[in-house]
Amino acid sequence: MRESSPRPRARLDAVVVLFSVAIGALFLRLFQLQILDRANLTAAAERNRTEMIYQTAPRGFVYDRNGVVLATNRPMFSLIYLPSHKGLADLRPLAQELAAQLRRDPADILASLEEATREDSVVRLAENLPPRVMFRLSELRPIYPGVDLVMEAERYYPLGDFASQLIGYVGRMDPRDWIKLRSEGYRIDSPVGRTGLEKVFESVLRGRDGAIRMEVDAQGRLKRQLDRVPWQPGDSLVLTVNAAIQEVAESELRRSISGRGAAVVLDPRSGAVLALASTPDFNLNELAASAPPSERPANPADLPEFDRAISGTYAPGSTFKIVVGAAGLNEGRFAVNDTVFCPGYFKLGRHLFWCYDHHGHGLMNWWTGFAHSCDVYFYEMGLRTGAALIEKYAESFGLGRPTRIALPGESPGQLFGPRTFAAEHRPWYDGDTVNLSIGQGGLLVTPIQMAVLISAVANGGTLWRPHYIDRIHYADGGPDYVQQPEKMGEVDLKPSTWNDLHEALSLVVSSGTGRAVAIRGLDISGKTGTAQNSSGRDHSWFVAYAARPGQPPSVAVAVLVENGGFGDVSAVPIARDIFKVAFGIGKPPSWAELDLRAKPAAAPPARDSRGGPA
Amino acid sequence: MALSHAEAAWRGRLDMTFLAAVAGLLVVGSLAVVSAVRPMPHAGHIEIRHFAALAVGIAFFFFGFGFDYHVFEDQAKTIYAATILMLLAVLAVGTISHGHRSWLNFGFLSFQPAELARLFLVLSLAAYLDRRERKIKKFSVVLGALAVSIPVVGLILKQPDFSTALTFLPLIFGMLFCAGVSLAQLSVIMVFAGLTLSVPFIYTVCQVFYPHAQAGSWPHGIVDALIGGKTTVVLLLGGALAVAGLWRWAKWARLRADASLFLACYLVLAGGLLAGIVVNRRLKPYQRDRFAAFVAPKQDLEGAAYHVRQSQIAIGSGGVWGKGLFEGTQSQLGFLPERHTDFIYAVIGEEMGFWGAAGVLLLYFLLVWRLAETARGARDRYGYLVCSGLAVMFGFELVLNVGMCVGLMPVAGIPLPLVSYGGSSLVIALWSLGIAANVHYKRYLLA
Repeated sequence: MRESSPRPRARLDAVVVLFSVAIGALFLRLFQLQILDRANLTAAAERNRTEMIYQTAPRGFVYDRNGVVLATNRPMFSLIYLPSHKGLADLRPLAQELAAQLRRDPADILASLEEATREDSVVRLAENLPPRVMFRLSELRPIYPGVDLVMEAERYYPLGDFASQLIGYVGRMDPRDWIKLRSEGYRIDSPVGRTGLEKVFESVLRGRDGAIRMEVDAQGRLKRQLDRVPWQPGDSLVLTVNAAIQEVAESELRRSISGRGAAVVLDPRSGAVLALASTPDFNLNELAASAPPSERPANPADLPEFDRAISGTYAPGSTFKIVVGAAGLNEGRFAVNDTVFCPGYFKLGRHLFWCYDHHGHGLMNWWTGFAHSCDVYFYEMGLRTGAALIEKYAESFGLGRPTRIALPGESPGQLFGPRTFAAEHRPWYDGDTVNLSIGQGGLLVTPIQMAVLISAVANGGTLWRPHYIDRIHYADGGPDYVQQPEKMGEVDLKPSTWNDLHEALSLVVSSGTGRAVAIRGLDISGKTGTAQNSSGRDHSWFVAYAARPGQPPSVAVAVLVENGGFGDVSAVPIARDIFKVAFGIGKPPSWAELDLRAKPAAAPPARDSRGGPA
Repeated sequence: MALSHAEAAWRGRLDMTFLAAVAGLLVVGSLAVVSAVRPMPHAGHIEIRHFAALAVGIAFFFFGFGFDYHVFEDQAKTIYAATILMLLAVLAVGTISHGHRSWLNFGFLSFQPAELARLFLVLSLAAYLDRRERKIKKFSVVLGALAVSIPVVGLILKQPDFSTALTFLPLIFGMLFCAGVSLAQLSVIMVFAGLTLSVPFIYTVCQVFYPHAQAGSWPHGIVDALIGGKTTVVLLLGGALAVAGLWRWAKWARLRADASLFLACYLVLAGGLLAGIVVNRRLKPYQRDRFAAFVAPKQDLEGAAYHVRQSQIAIGSGGVWGKGLFEGTQSQLGFLPERHTDFIYAVIGEEMGFWGAAGVLLLYFLLVWRLAETARGARDRYGYLVCSGLAVMFGFELVLNVGMCVGLMPVAGIPLPLVSYGGSSLVIALWSLGIAANVHYKRYLLA
């Protein structure tokens, strides 16, 4: 082929055709981007320019039954960082600057900043800034785009170290939990109830977080607010707890011999929790839980978060004699007038079982044996009743299973008896029955179980499931949810048995081991207990209930002082103070310096104190 | 419809479609530039500069239009000398911007000689080829044209403005092609240039996809061959043996086998490879990143790929009708890089939508088509060559720039002529088009 023409038109045509093909390709690509992929790319453009600043909604308030605020919120300033979309900026100067202001390690801050850049999300660098730091940080804002201060609602517990284990605290979630919770609208830095009722009623208290949708430029500078979703505060809880009783229980426990113990105060007519105290405790505002692992005790029971009232298990000691007596009397295995001579010890075969009073109590019947808690009397009556029956009655009184109070970590305790042993293929001996008769051996109970037990005795046989929620007050104004009492069981005893039990419990206070609890103007009945403890001093128990004369019992308590020695020494005075406060008798002890009457304006109207101590 | 005589004469002499396309591009470009610079700190200043450049450019259009283009053929040597001097001057006293020394600063104005060099190369190369019309099929003409061009391209590479230099290659090949040189000779040159350019490309592919290739594996072998290692030597020697063997076989088979043909083939291939190795070694890291971003856009969303990605997001989110002027979030909030210059097309795509973006393609198509038609109808071969060169130049710059914005081409820092902000580019583009308009105007006139 020869091309002699000075103007090879075919070649020019080829250039035009080639160019047309290229234009066509570009056109198709435009069609693809602007018509077909439009939705995706529009979404990408939106993601580019918008940044959500989430605002943690104020959690619902928690009130005691009289409107005392137990948990509220306060404004908090947090330092946040919005990463630049360019991602190329050197973050080191910013990290240095912030580290100097916040007194933290620059490497840590740099890591957070880089994480935020990588994830393209907002990161909280510091919370709860003191005003002075806040003002200095606000000066950084124009210098370093992306740094900003936001106001948020922070959980605040006005009473500090008050009902710590019951209320629990709010904290940052575990990254593993977040994987589960992210679908429910949680963010990685969302506060979440970690323990106590904050955890149990998380969904009620949480509310819905607000968000400000901001327009940002490529440097991460906030340009303007696009729109905002207001937060919706969480619903409030009104507890059945009486702050005054709770406070006295806690302060008395703290002042006890060991400072470790638990007290559960129930309304025996409904199972409503009036106080649920466990010491040692911690200040909810100081986040004791965030101490580094190295400084924390290895044994979980040594943690201040450990709730002895529901998770601590102890031998019931002599308080268990209530169950032994109920079983033996009700089944007719012995009568109230049957007598036993107590020489200070009891011989079973070649074994010697001591009474706590080595000198001996002398001749004992049901009234004196119970009132003085004579061990020998109960060794004998326990053997007459038989361990199988005692185990059965212990079970019917709710021992060996959790009360299912709405709190995490409750222990079921441990039954002790031939049936339990048979299930474990272990032999049962009479010696075990002797131990069981005074609440020793392998029997383990929690203070709340004992409180339910003594409440059932007080009300004549109904095991109310303990509950601490009185009602839920909805933030949107809907009618309150009112918690109804729930039965967890019934102890069916003959009326004569109940009478014998009630009179014996009353004798304990009037003339027996529990004399120290007696308060003029109140009918108080109870039982002391001393739980032998393989390590250290005996634990001290006292279970009791009280009524105004002529009225049914309205307050029941179970007090445990670890290593407190004899029940009448350490546990009984605590119960006495609790009753005094519950019934408003006498001069309140020194704890009441705390002004529990300071009610917030926003307190929901208190309902008639249903079944409360008059 | 009756036209007056004068009107009819003007209709014939001015290409209305051509003028409309140019005017349309200038209007769309100005709107986009004004919108793109709005959030910038010195928006007013930039706008003033743009419209001043536009005014100067229009003046240059009429200057080119009113000036007989044969002057350029007569003064081709002077123009060429001026080009070389200008490029030497910029290397000596130019100011640095964006990492290359490509600006001449005259205090009140600064300009990019490379833009002017491209127009001057078109004018002088056209003269060179026109004068060798009779021996156009000779290889010496091709080599001569290259000898004319290489100093210009080399000086621009020296700045080093890789992207602008890249736009010269299709221009040179296009002009040689349109001048009617032998296709075989042209393909030899193109194979050579293709090999040279594909070496860094293949090298980058291997680096991106097989970053930890073990010694002995094939990606490692390729990389070794491309950086001038032992494998290169083996490849060259093996190639020589293979070509020699092929030649022996051809002789044995009594095929017409000229030893010089085989030698030439070998030299082209080996030379292309060696030239590629040299180019690859001299690439700047950011230039290599651009290759990498094109090869694997997902792997690096912060650097060059970020720009491409943001540009595609801008264009795609514009949809059919666009977000409206000043309303593009990608451009107004700074997510689009270089938005008033290299990525102006993405601003058009975002704010004027599919119709705006496709409209620019249509206007450009009209422009290039009319340039080709002007070439076809030119009175003489010089006019034909100049307009062919301009058609190729504008066409290629559109394809490269728009291709970059939509993600079909690697990132090259070149503006979209007539649309992007940039005084030198705008003035030179309008001057070039003025010259083309002059070619059109003079098509029926006798010399």
